[in-house]
Amino acid sequence: MAKEGLGLEITELRLGLPDAEHQVSVVNKKNEKKRAFSEIDDGVGDENSSSGGGDRKMETNKSQVVGWPPVCSYRKKNSMNEGASKMYVKVSMDGAPFLRKIDLGLHKGYSDLALALDKLFGCYGMVEALKNADNSEHVPIYEDKDGDWMLVGDVPWEMFMESCKRLRIMKKSDAKGFGLQPKGSLKGFIESAAK
Amino acid sequence: MMNYFPDEVIEHIFDYVVSHSDRNALSLVCKSWYRIERCTRQRVFIGNCYSITPERLIQRFPGLKSLTLKGKPHFADFSLVPYDWGGFVHPWVEALAKSRVGLEELRLKRMVVSDESLELLSRSFTHFKSLVLVSCEGFSTDGLAAIAANCRFLRELDLQENEVEDHKGQWLSCFPDNCTSLVSLNFACLKGEVSLGALERFVARSPNLKSLKLNRSVPVDALQRIMMRAPQLSDLGIGSLVHDPESEAYIKLKNTILKCKSITSLSGFLEVAPHCLAAIYPICPNLTSLNLSYAAGIQGSALVKLIHHCVKLQRLWIMDCIGDKGLGVVATTCKDLQELRVFPSVPFGDPAAVTEKGLVAISMGCPKLHSLLYFCHQMTNAALITVAKNCPNFIRFRLCILDATKPDPDTMQPLDEGFGAIVQSCRRLRRLSLSGKLTDQVFLYIGMYAEKLEMLSIAFAGDGDKGMLYVLNGCKKLRKLEIRDCPFGDMALLTDVGKYETMRSLWMSSCEVTVGACKLLAKKMPRLNVEIFNENEQEDCSLEDGQKVEKMYLYRTLAGKRKDAPEYVWTL
Repeated sequence: MAKEGLGLEITELRLGLPDAEHQVSVVNKKNEKKRAFSEIDDGVGDENSSSGGGDRKMETNKSQVVGWPPVCSYRKKNSMNEGASKMYVKVSMDGAPFLRKIDLGLHKGYSDLALALDKLFGCYGMVEALKNADNSEHVPIYEDKDGDWMLVGDVPWEMFMESCKRLRIMKKSDAKGFGLQPKGSLKGFIESAAK
Repeated sequence: MMNYFPDEVIEHIFDYVVSHSDRNALSLVCKSWYRIERCTRQRVFIGNCYSITPERLIQRFPGLKSLTLKGKPHFADFSLVPYDWGGFVHPWVEALAKSRVGLEELRLKRMVVSDESLELLSRSFTHFKSLVLVSCEGFSTDGLAAIAANCRFLRELDLQENEVEDHKGQWLSCFPDNCTSLVSLNFACLKGEVSLGALERFVARSPNLKSLKLNRSVPVDALQRIMMRAPQLSDLGIGSLVHDPESEAYIKLKNTILKCKSITSLSGFLEVAPHCLAAIYPICPNLTSLNLSYAAGIQGSALVKLIHHCVKLQRLWIMDCIGDKGLGVVATTCKDLQELRVFPSVPFGDPAAVTEKGLVAISMGCPKLHSLLYFCHQMTNAALITVAKNCPNFIRFRLCILDATKPDPDTMQPLDEGFGAIVQSCRRLRRLSLSGKLTDQVFLYIGMYAEKLEMLSIAFAGDGDKGMLYVLNGCKKLRKLEIRDCPFGDMALLTDVGKYETMRSLWMSSCEVTVGACKLLAKKMPRLNVEIFNENEQEDCSLEDGQKVEKMYLYRTLAGKRKDAPEYVWTL
């Protein structure tokens, strides 16, 4: 329920924005993926329950055996969604018409992340946000494992990487509605990036 | 009568014979032809870098200009061969450089290539033109910088699916300003940034550039400028197609694409926003080749819509998220399709993805199909029988059911009859990969009907030794046999040992062969290298004869035991 409410809240906040429809469709896609994953689990369960004890072990082992299915290592690393879902997170910016994806694993810290965000959304005001920290119109926040929206920069990088599910670059004026108070920590984050 | 001609005439005639196997046959006719063939041979293919020494190669073909080499076993692709097994190219480059062979082209697959090797290569051959690296590892952009800087006549630099250390150097900038000879450039597999300015200048001064494959760091605006400067491109790999459809850069790209009349091959889309795909619709009607197997961002209706525009496709590589319905669209749209590859989009397959229905639709709509690689969730005998009837021209048929031992879900029977229909109907079959629940019956069919089969991959199949014997006895042209997780044992291995000298290699892992049998085989056949991989550290002291072999790789060789084997590889 809380999650649903949060979803609705986000949608509500975006009313009138050009990407409102896109955002909704993205949410739908996400749900579809979840169902697919559940089906996979169910499938495995069915197979296990339908076979005998020894067979069950064999089946389970075989489905996880090294080198099966025979997809070459390069392809596994570079195109399959499992790899992507590990480190890639979606990034949205208020006012930008589409989402981007960023691989947190490729970045070493918050400075790298800020520079990457600048590169992704530079044409939508990120540069200004970085240069004039005090007057920044945007605040980077992220959704963590528990579904809470957190301010980027509050926790150590490794912890952030582990718990970050998606990022949003939010208008400062909207941040208050989320109960977020961008103060010292945000300033430090932006200043280190602007070096 | 041919012998009445002077050697010069015979040499001239031989120049028209280009196929490796035909050249090989010529050299066996008589001593005179052997000598003439030896002096005029320029292109050599070596399927296993340990089958012969570089010195022997150079002695045999002093006029060598083009060399193709393969290293690690095929199963290295699937993490079954340890990283440091071997396959080093450096001894080859060293020997070629030392002998002053006029090497111009080098193609490598599954080999370990170092920056040192690339540096030596780049400095040793004055007219070096072409470097193709497929599934190689061990080098970095520093090695590429040496190639760029030193190979003054370079025409082709093609990097496919390599693991490259990216030092974020400016390797592209190392091409000298007077280098204008490039015809083909592929760096799609590089991870890092490239100098966009250097790339654009390079493209601008390369009037013969026909093939260009970019990595994901090349943004839309750079892509647009490149396409504007190189309208002659026929093969384009787009690294990134993500941008605001209302932006100036995107609109410019659309306009530039409208002027591109030459593109027939498209690939990449490593990063893509589906709504940007409309930009490329104008070039789709001319495409004969489309590779979207790395385009994870194109799914569902966007993928189907794109394919609707591609009416001339002969070659299509996609992910299984296209679904059976999408394959139905391929079947009705791409009547000239000859090669299809469908890869899984998630590691163990999406149950909503492709099944036998999609393959049947393809076989009905694309009668010219002769090459297939198909990852799917399930397959039935009835479907395979239908496919065999509809497409009797298969040369390559590789089916991978993601659940390795799944039977026909309609009848719960093994898939023997389905594969049997394939080998019986497709008499030109050269490559076959099996999967799903299978008994020895399928091997009987293969032995009986697959007369031209050269490469066979088997996994989780068969009942006992007979299965392997059917294959070894029946497939006269077999060159490579790969077996994993099958109940084939010592009797199967030792019954027809002379067969292995007619083959390039045999791989067996997780089977029933023992160390003793391998020792016996090695003793009987001194021109085979029989390698056992003993990766279990606790047992590195000795190998008991009765012990089962986890991994065995056997290949014919004129070079004897290799000297670069790691500790855990025992060459018996």
